[in-house]
Amino acid sequence: MANNSQDTPRDLRKMTGIWVVLSVAADLLFWFLVGPHVPPGRMTETAKNNQLDFNILLVIALPVIIGVWVYMGYAITHWSAKRNGPEPVGGASARSNKKAQVWWIAVTSFVVLFLAGFGTVALIVDHGSGGGEGPNPVWMPAGAARAETAAINGTGTGILTEPGGEHVLPVQVIGQQWKFTYRYPTFGGFESSQLMLPANTTIAFNVTSLDVIHSFWAYQLSVKADANPGVNNVAFTETKNVGNFTVRCSELCGLWHGAMFNYGSVVSPSDFVTWATTTEAANHANTKDLPPFAWTYTPDANNAAGGWFPDGTVTPYSTVETYGAKQPAS
Amino acid sequence: MTDIFKGSKAPNATPEEREFELRAHLGSIWTGGRLFIGMYTFMLASIAFAYFYLRSSNNAQLWRPNHITAPTYYGFFIYGFMVLTAILAIYGQWRLRKGEVADWQVAGWTGVASGLIALFLQIWEFTRVPFYPGSSGYASTFIGYAVMNIGTIVVGTYWLETTLARGLRMRKELGDGAEISSSPAAQSFRANVASMTYNWGFIALGATLFLVLFYLM
Amino acid sequence: MTISAERPTEVATSVAPPARVSTPWTQRPGWMSQHLGTAIVGGFLGYILGHWFGNYISSSYPYIVNSGQNSIAVTLALTGMVVGWLLGIGALNYPLAKLIGKDAPAESEVKGWSKYFRYSTDHKVVGMQYVVGVLLFMFTGGLLAMAIRTELLNPTTHVFGPGTYIEIVSEHGTIMMMMATSIIVGPLGNYLVPLMIGSRRMAFPRIEAFSFWIFIAGYMVIFSALPYGGFSTGWTGYAPLQTQNGPGMISYLLGFAVIGMGMMAAGFNIAVSIINYRAPGMTWSRVPIFVWSILATASLLTLATPVLFAGGLFGILDKTVQTAFYVDEHGGSSYLWQNLFWFFGHPEVYIMALPGFGIVAEILPVFTRKPLFAYKVAASGMIGVALLSFFVWQHHLFQSGINPDMRPLFMLTTELISIPTGFIFLVGMGTLYRAKIRFEIPMLFAMALFFNFLIGGVTGVFLSDVPVNVTVHGGFFVLSHFHYTIMGGLLFAFMAGLYFWLPKMTGRMMNKKLGLIHFWMMFVFFNLTFFPMFIIGLLGQPRRVFTYASNLQGLNDFSSISAFLLGLSFLVFAFNLVWSMWISPEKAPANPWDSLGLEWQTASPVPAHNFDRIPVIMTDPYHYSEPGAPALADFGGASSGAATSDSHSAKNEGADND
Repeated sequence: MANNSQDTPRDLRKMTGIWVVLSVAADLLFWFLVGPHVPPGRMTETAKNNQLDFNILLVIALPVIIGVWVYMGYAITHWSAKRNGPEPVGGASARSNKKAQVWWIAVTSFVVLFLAGFGTVALIVDHGSGGGEGPNPVWMPAGAARAETAAINGTGTGILTEPGGEHVLPVQVIGQQWKFTYRYPTFGGFESSQLMLPANTTIAFNVTSLDVIHSFWAYQLSVKADANPGVNNVAFTETKNVGNFTVRCSELCGLWHGAMFNYGSVVSPSDFVTWATTTEAANHANTKDLPPFAWTYTPDANNAAGGWFPDGTVTPYSTVETYGAKQPAS
Repeated sequence: MTDIFKGSKAPNATPEEREFELRAHLGSIWTGGRLFIGMYTFMLASIAFAYFYLRSSNNAQLWRPNHITAPTYYGFFIYGFMVLTAILAIYGQWRLRKGEVADWQVAGWTGVASGLIALFLQIWEFTRVPFYPGSSGYASTFIGYAVMNIGTIVVGTYWLETTLARGLRMRKELGDGAEISSSPAAQSFRANVASMTYNWGFIALGATLFLVLFYLM
Repeated sequence: MTISAERPTEVATSVAPPARVSTPWTQRPGWMSQHLGTAIVGGFLGYILGHWFGNYISSSYPYIVNSGQNSIAVTLALTGMVVGWLLGIGALNYPLAKLIGKDAPAESEVKGWSKYFRYSTDHKVVGMQYVVGVLLFMFTGGLLAMAIRTELLNPTTHVFGPGTYIEIVSEHGTIMMMMATSIIVGPLGNYLVPLMIGSRRMAFPRIEAFSFWIFIAGYMVIFSALPYGGFSTGWTGYAPLQTQNGPGMISYLLGFAVIGMGMMAAGFNIAVSIINYRAPGMTWSRVPIFVWSILATASLLTLATPVLFAGGLFGILDKTVQTAFYVDEHGGSSYLWQNLFWFFGHPEVYIMALPGFGIVAEILPVFTRKPLFAYKVAASGMIGVALLSFFVWQHHLFQSGINPDMRPLFMLTTELISIPTGFIFLVGMGTLYRAKIRFEIPMLFAMALFFNFLIGGVTGVFLSDVPVNVTVHGGFFVLSHFHYTIMGGLLFAFMAGLYFWLPKMTGRMMNKKLGLIHFWMMFVFFNLTFFPMFIIGLLGQPRRVFTYASNLQGLNDFSSISAFLLGLSFLVFAFNLVWSMWISPEKAPANPWDSLGLEWQTASPVPAHNFDRIPVIMTDPYHYSEPGAPALADFGGASSGAATSDSHSAKNEGADND
């Protein structure tokens, strides 16, 4: 019993020593060796920020994990019956330890609250961090609101330049079973199965779907937004470097969900404008047959929001007015 | 809900053990009745959530075009009969506690009849709704509620009926007149009736909420 | 124990010894009564009748009748099957007899193994039935997992077509989720809770039996999805894909409704039993921690499942009577399903975590010979998790476009829940502190839980951080995360519990050598299977895909091969089970682990009424290594079996060795 009080700090000191060394080493190794390569990379501002968030989280998480592992490892090696560990002592002192409990709760609460605060700040500062923000985004980058208005009203052309010097491009992403297509409202609303984006530009993705729920995941851009039918889910990012990226559907959308992917590119703004104007001209005839640009498209005859079918050729099977009317007596 | 306590076959050798088991049994009926209300609350909350969610999102402007309403007369009658059952159950329980078993029986069976009428009306209402189920958010939610209400009435009436039937079988143990039996079986029976009544009271409350939501608003 | 002052004698006299009711034919031993066979016949007849009726009432639509796509016929057939099954097993005998005021039939007199095939109201029989039931689910789901990993050996589609593959994925997820809700509450909760609280019975034994038999009916319903052509929505069943799907979707929706009824029944009975049937002296601070965890779980089961039930009902109505709950174009909302589903779904996640914590916290003191550290923190943590779990559901919808402005709030609540979850580590580490750990098989599994759940829990924080969530949502990262928490946590705890308590439940020890092989295979290959998936997920592979980037093939193959070996470890387990229980049974000592728990202090095998006399509890069951500790309970003089003396020596073991 007597040597217990002396052993106790020694055990803890040993563990703390191992823990500090391992944690610092792991954190440093991670931060400098792995950190810069952590997905999704640094192709956009969003990706960069989200990578930073991930790295910070991991730098906090590693000491936690290592702390538990060191403790468990120490317990297994030093306190086992096989290795003639110490005689366990029961009683009140083994049942609770106010200091340890209070510290534990205080530390975990602090870490958790810090993480929540940090996450919130990161989310707001980075304008939703590339996640889908629903039809009425609350955290918008500069110029995005004007660009959205220009897109839906058809008042802007090309890459929009804001008074503050920001370049903004609204792009619509349309998911359907099982492919993504993209419409460029500021280039006459042409639709393309190719996703081209200009570098150093704020992109406002307007994600919607024609059938079931998909999720637009531009992996290297760190953009993910569910494509819901009838909903315009907006996500922002700011492209930095040129390069290629992958687009995958990350919400199960049926049979060929696994094959629903394609690739996009970020190119220099001038290349982009060249591509966009060429494609706009080449697709001119097709674009005329498309429904006019809208946030959502409803592929039924009710013409509720979009009118996918050309009016007049499909007999509406019911109208809003007849829904509420009394049914004829049968 | 539960079977009547008659002393299980466990070797309850001492009065303490019998007392303990009786108390645990009575407590279970009490707790079970309350927990049942908890479950039912979450069930109703789902419907209420669906109602308000669809109403506020008003997709395709089809929450409730032209303010369609399910047949109001039916609604009021169903509601009325459900509340009547609840009131009769409460009244019956009050009389039972006074030892008036006959009053409880009469009130109870009337309540069962009233519950069955509510059930019939709730089913028959389906043939009278002026919309088809998928025509609007309101229509869908209403059908969902009606189906769930059928379940509610069936369960509630079943519970009432089984206690009554049990009461008839154990008239002797319950005693009659002003004297209240304190036999464990009678205590257990009264606890069961109390839980049942309590649940009927809650059913009536829930029905009030949905009467307002579906028929009055 | 207090006797009410008035009328003690009356209580004593007024209880007549129960009259011998002649056993009804339904309960007689032998084949001429109700058992599994009649249940199967009932289910079969009910299915045919329901199917016929469904086709009959839609007979005015010739293109629907007998098309195999008649949702009404499918729904009624499956409903008929469930009702027929319950009628056949005898679950509805008493509820129907009650209508004419009849008494409960006498409890089953059937002795021997055939009682396990009957509607038994003995919680010990139900517990054993559940063991088989959850293993049935587990092996079915496990086989499907093997199929998934087989397909993912190659970056393109090669073994299964995309249709078959997505059926397998959906079925795997759904079956496993259904199993996981009951895997501990069902077998161990039902078997052990009365023993641990010193009760002779459950509060509602018939509801308990009902919960098991409808659980099996739920298995049949969800399994019927495969012959119906499956469903392609995964276990989450998102609308509008749900609306788009064929009759397999009915199996999913109805399956969840049916399983949901079982979950509600099981939770209801267990929660009420724990609250009311604690032996005298078993105050809330003396309740074993496992019982606390089961209480928290049972409350969640009871209160969260109605939401799933309602959601499933809406889905079935959408498919059959053509309501439009989840159809945006008709005034419904596909978001409604997501909200309802996850409002249930997130408490469900903790339904799957809490019992595991309970088992580990219960086992640790036994193998460390130390009292449970911070008991009150552990209990309050469990209740805290249960409460908080109702307020986090929208973190599943971070990228969905629903309520984006609420994200900080749900990020906060989600991360807050890691505080009470973290208590299990405080408890575990405190209990291990300067202990004398014996690494028996259950202890190994318990320690493995700490290893796995730590990774699962920490990655959960990554997922709850919205900026990081953008990358990891809907990918293999989250897949790996929840396999780490559910499989690495719950399933390991289940194994710990089985190895720990099977000697009590069956009187036979599990073979230690095979157990060691099982443990090490399961632990190593579990981590080798799922840890690479974090990386796969970060590298951009979404869930539920049959094609992936070719540069990920190496990792995927590694994961697949580990998964096959992980599957093999379950065969080792199955072999161990068969070997130790039937082929070469080794009689278990009365208290093989020297536990102080109340459940070990009754005779072995457990008598029909658990305790000869209702014990009076003196203290909590964690007085390890405490010389002169008070006895756990007063068994009223009646010797409760050999276990008592063993446990006394166990209690003083620490002192003796000094």
